[in-house]
This record gives sequence, C-alpha cells and structure tokens, in this order.
Amino acid sequence: MDNNVISPRQFMYLVILFLIGSSILIVPTPLAKSADQDGWIASFLGMSIGVLFILLYHKIAVTIGDRTFIEATIDVFGKWFGRVICFFHLAFIYILASLVLRNIGDFMTTQILEETPLQFTHILFMLVVILGARLGIEVIGRSAEMFITWISLLLLFLFLFLTPQLEMDNVQPMFGSGIKSMIQGSFTVMNTPVLEMVVLLMIYPKVKEKTKARQAWLLGLLIGGGFLSMITLFSILVLGSDLTALNEYPVYELASKINIAGFLEGIEIIVAIVWMLTIFFKLIILYYGAALGIAQFLNIEDYRVLLLPLGMGLIVLSIIVYPDVAYFETFVRNVFPYKIMHGLLLPFLLLIGALIKKKTNLKGKPALKGKVDRNVQE
Amino acid sequence: MNNNFSFLPISKRLFITLACLLFLTGCWNSRELDDLGIAVALGIDKTQEGNYSLVVQMINPSEIATEAPSTRPPVSLYQSEGETIFEALRKMTLSAPRKIYMSQLRLLIIGPGLAEEGILPTLDLLYRDPEFRTSFLVTVAKDIEVEALLSVITAYEKIPANKIMDSIIAAESHWAATHGVYIDQIVSDIRSPGKSPILTGILLEGSEEAGNNISNVENVDSPARIHVDHLSVFKGDRMLGWLNEDESKGYNYILGNVKSTLINFPCEEKESGKIGIEILRTNAAIDATKTGSNPSITVTLEAEGNVGEIQCDLDLTKPETLQEIADKAEEDIKTKISAAITAAKEQYQTDIFGFGNTIARKNPTYWKEVEKNWDEHFKETVVKVEVKLDIRRKGTIVQPVQKKG
Repeated sequence: MDNNVISPRQFMYLVILFLIGSSILIVPTPLAKSADQDGWIASFLGMSIGVLFILLYHKIAVTIGDRTFIEATIDVFGKWFGRVICFFHLAFIYILASLVLRNIGDFMTTQILEETPLQFTHILFMLVVILGARLGIEVIGRSAEMFITWISLLLLFLFLFLTPQLEMDNVQPMFGSGIKSMIQGSFTVMNTPVLEMVVLLMIYPKVKEKTKARQAWLLGLLIGGGFLSMITLFSILVLGSDLTALNEYPVYELASKINIAGFLEGIEIIVAIVWMLTIFFKLIILYYGAALGIAQFLNIEDYRVLLLPLGMGLIVLSIIVYPDVAYFETFVRNVFPYKIMHGLLLPFLLLIGALIKKKTNLKGKPALKGKVDRNVQE
Repeated sequence: MNNNFSFLPISKRLFITLACLLFLTGCWNSRELDDLGIAVALGIDKTQEGNYSLVVQMINPSEIATEAPSTRPPVSLYQSEGETIFEALRKMTLSAPRKIYMSQLRLLIIGPGLAEEGILPTLDLLYRDPEFRTSFLVTVAKDIEVEALLSVITAYEKIPANKIMDSIIAAESHWAATHGVYIDQIVSDIRSPGKSPILTGILLEGSEEAGNNISNVENVDSPARIHVDHLSVFKGDRMLGWLNEDESKGYNYILGNVKSTLINFPCEEKESGKIGIEILRTNAAIDATKTGSNPSITVTLEAEGNVGEIQCDLDLTKPETLQEIADKAEEDIKTKISAAITAAKEQYQTDIFGFGNTIARKNPTYWKEVEKNWDEHFKETVVKVEVKLDIRRKGTIVQPVQKKG
C-alpha cells in the first residue's frame, strides 16, 4: 500500500473542498424552502453541529490509530461481522460518489450542455478523477493546495461583485421563520455535507501530526461551512428567499446577476468553475476512499488495480442511481435516517467496539499498542 | 525522436495519438454564429381562440455589421402561434431562416390582452428555460398590438429593442416617471403576497403604417416613434390600469427609485413664471408601526436638489427664498406621493408599494393575520408622508436673469 502522507494544512483544504463540493449546488434551495429568509442561519446552525461530529470522528481516528475505517472495523468486529458493517460503509461511499458525479452531470445538462447525453459528461469527468486517484493521496493533497487559491478567489470575486445588488430587506425579519423551521433547515446541511465527512476517515490515517489534524479539520469546517452559509446568505439577499427556493441552481442564477457597469456580465460560467473544481475534489476523495476501502475489504495489495473497473461501475451507477431530478429532490429532503446511520451509528458502533477491545487488550498485555494487536489477532 | 513517448512501442504511440482525436470532436451541441437567429425582442399576446401569438424581432447581422448599409432593414420580424409559448417558438422555424437564440434578448413586450388576462403562466418558460437570461426588461404595450410596436424601425439606434431598453433606462434615471422591471423581479413580485407588481408601458406615437417602412428612418423627424410610457398597475398577475405621470413619479419617490428628476411649480399664485428644481438624489424609507387595530405606514423621503430654472423676479441671495422654494418643492413631492397612494388605494385597491412586505418584516405576527386578504386591509392603512428637501446650490449665476439691480 502507498505510504504517502499529507500535511494537516493540505487536509484542511481537502475538508473545505469536500464541504463546498456539490453542496453548493444542492443545499441553498431546500434551505430557503424550509427556513425562508433564515436559511443561512439554519446553515450556520447545521455547521455548528458539525463540530460535534468532527470531535467524534477524531476520537474514532485516535482510537483506531493509523488504520482506516475499513481495517479497523474488520479488526474489531472480526472477519465476518466486521465485513458486513464494512459492506454498508463502502456501499455508502460508492453510492455517494455516484450521486456527486450525477450532480455535476445534471447541472451541466440543465444549464449548459442541454443536448449532450449525461454519459459523456460523466465519462470525461470520471477519466480525470481516475487519473487523479491513481496518483495517490499525496498528489491529491498537493493539487488541492494549488486549486484552493482559485476557488477562494472566485468565491470572493462573486461576493464582491454582488454587493451592489444586496437587499438587506430580504433577510428580515431575522429569526422570523421560527426555531422549528430553522432546525428543519439545519438537517439539510447535516445531510449534505456534514454527515458525509465520515468518509474522510478513509484518508485521515495519511495525515501527519494528529494533534494539528484535529484543528485542521475544525478550521476546514469553519471555512468550508462559512463559504456555504455565505452562498446561501447571498442567494437570499440578492434573489430573495422565494426565488432561491424556486430556482434549481440558485448559485448559478446568482452568478448570472453579476453586472458591473454593463460590460462585465454573463460571466456565470467562470464562477461555475468553483463547483466544477470542488465537485472534482469531493469526487476524488470519495472515489479514492471507495477504492482503498474495497481493496482492504478484499485484501488486495494495491487499490490501483480496482480504479478502472470501479470507475466504469460508477458511471453506470450514476446514470441509474435516480431516475429523474424530482426523485433526487425528494431523496435530499428525506435522506436523514440513511445519513445518520452511516454518519453516526456505524462510526459510533466502531468507536465503542474499539474502546472495549482496547481496554480488554490493555488488561492482558499492557505494553502493546494498536498495531501489534492486529498482528496478534491475525 | 527523443520525447517522453519514445519508450513506448510505435503501435501504442499511434493508439494514444488516435485516442486523443476522440476528444477533438468539439462540443456536442455546439451552434455556430451563422446558425443562430439572434432575437432581441419578444412580443407575446393571446389570439381570439386563446392561443399564444409570438412576435420575435431578430437582428439581421449583415446589416448591423456592415460599413455600407443597404436598404434592407436591420431587424426582421417573425410571427407564429401555438397553444404554448414553447410550441409557438419552435413553430417559428417554419418562417424564420434559423433557430431562434434567446440569450441576447433585451426586451419582452406583453400584449394588452394578455396582460389583462394574467401573465404568470406566460413567465414560466421565460424563467425556466436556460437559454433565457434574467437580464431583459418586461414591458406592456399600451393600446396597441405588439406586432405594430415591434415593426417600428428606429433611427438613432439601429436595433429597435436596444432603443427601447436604452430609453427606459435613461428615462428612469433622469425623468423618474417610469421604472424598468426585469424578469426575476416581476416573478418575485407576483409571487409575493405583500406587493403587487408594476410594469413599464410602451406606446407608439404617429402612424402605424409609417413605422413599418425604412422611410421612417429617412426623415429627421420620424413619422412613427416608440415612446416609453408610465407605469401599469397589476393585481396579482392581472393588469388593472395605468398610473398617470404624477402618480408614476410618486410611486418611484416612495420606492426610492428616483435618482434624478425635476420639479416644476409656479413662483406665485398670480404670476405666470415658474420655478424648476433639479433633484440630484433621493433616499426613501418605508416604516410600519401598529397603532390600535390598524397598521400605519410612514414614508420618509430625503432629497437633495439644485435650483435649475427661475422664470420670475426673486431674490435668490436670501437664504429664506431658497427655504421657501424648498418648502414648495416638498409640497409638490408630497402631492405626487399622495396621488400615487390614493390611486393605489381607491382606484385599483392593490398594494403596489410593498407596504405589506414592510409589515411582514416589522410585525410578522400581525402580518400572518392579514396576509390572506391584505388588499382589503391596505385600503384602511394610514400612510404618513414626510419629505425633506435640501436645496444646496443654484447653478452658475447668483440671481435670476430677470432681476435687475
């Protein structure tokens, strides 16, 4: 297996990209729908709850040492029961990857390339992702470091040039939608992307300096979540909560509203680079995680042999994963039990299992650590 | 050859090179410029049978770009009918030489018949279809068929749709008795329970026949001209009627849309001379308070202006004179605002100012009670108007030219 490592800073960038990717397209509409003018507050609320999840995930990561979610689960719960849990986790990652791929495909076919069949967008996008995943996590981390500048610049550019069109009236009365609808809105953000962060446990073992890594994760949530909430806030400020909820892709609509003195307009496609890049990174993390996890699941030495067949499967799955956009919208609204199972229950089960195992092992052989445990077991 | 590929056998090198060709086929649904019929204005109305009738003004690229213009008109008009707007648009290929491309659309003109019947179903396609941007103005044709209006050739600006759009924008920032409305604003206003929309009217001056002829632009004083009119009042998505010039201005004062305008009033009751004040900037605020069972609205307007024109014998060196002029101008603004409010309350009984939205922001609990039949409550709402005008300067001369000594 590759011994590549990434720095905590690179990990933070990956967290930011992971949070913005595809959520930037999906999240503002349901947020404005459930919490009206307070959609952005609901988003902040959801993100703050995310801190608790990060603390949980970090705790798990520390407990399982430098093993991935899959390795640790198989160790803790044994070859058979562990693999059952792993199967669910891997299916979760793989299906999520196909959904993310479909998001960019749907966006392209709705807004830009209406007559191009979905498959071709997916194949072209997937080719780059496979290439990236082949190069390993270190290259992914370094390219994230490069592209984060572009993404931040484009987002700041978007925010700056929209300032003349902000209507402060659109967010008033603040907190007027009521606590209930704000909490309901925050579930949207928890579904996509907060609970999806469990996937990052697949690359967390590759991060150097674990103490700094937790900080990096939290900072990543602050920045990524901040950007996401700002996007929602700007959608509501410029378009109003009603039109934000009416539009399929409010962010694109937002970008098309940029008009500087009549000559700088129609530049929405430049801003669209933000989600093409962020979705690329989100997909690459998911895809790398899925390939690595399946390799560990099947005891395959190198995950790279799996990349091409899994990629082909992913393209097919992304086409059949949902029949139409209305199905997806319903799915996004009602997905909470599914996400909570994979984002909270399974990791929590693993944590308890790992803690109990650690304790019993410590009683028996006080000097031994996680890695040695595994050897003893096998 | 000593490049990176040299380690591969020739067959593989060939394969990779050929595989690259797959990506060079270009865009799947690319459309070259010479396949596009670029539409600049779209007119929609309903026929007697209830079908949509569409009129599209398409630019004639060779005529726009040329250095030596021929006698062919710079734009052409195409028409079609259909049960839906989409059908009508696609049917247009029967008469138009190219598929119509809507991204450069400048102007949408809604026919008077359709406006009275309700425009929201019409707007669905225009807001849904990705080919339509949100940067076109929505207007209503006043007392004229859309087709006649779009057939007029304009002299100063080759493309009539651009002329109308420029006129609306110029009039709204210098005369303030009109207001350009974009598609997303009108959709938002119609959907909002606390505000009724308004739209700019477009009308034709002169003879209909003359406008449709290239000779229209061969005269210095064109026999047919497109004219931007005042605002039309809607309730929901149905047009009720029109505001006059003073009411339209009053409307724009209340909403803070006035950038620059001017105010006329006589110097003295008896004299015939008049004073013109140039308004440079205004700042309007709407506030809602609740006294007893009825809400009350306060409209505050702060404005800054200059003395623009004096036709009578006044002593402009005295500060009191300027103050007096300012008071009179304030009175004039107040009259216009009241006229607009009265028209909305009594004549049309619909809240075009968005007072409902203000109440929804300031007093959400009360708004929940009245939201259902807000237009009923709007009639009972007390509106207070406060205007403060500062006159700062008086141009390049000290006294009126009439004044001696």
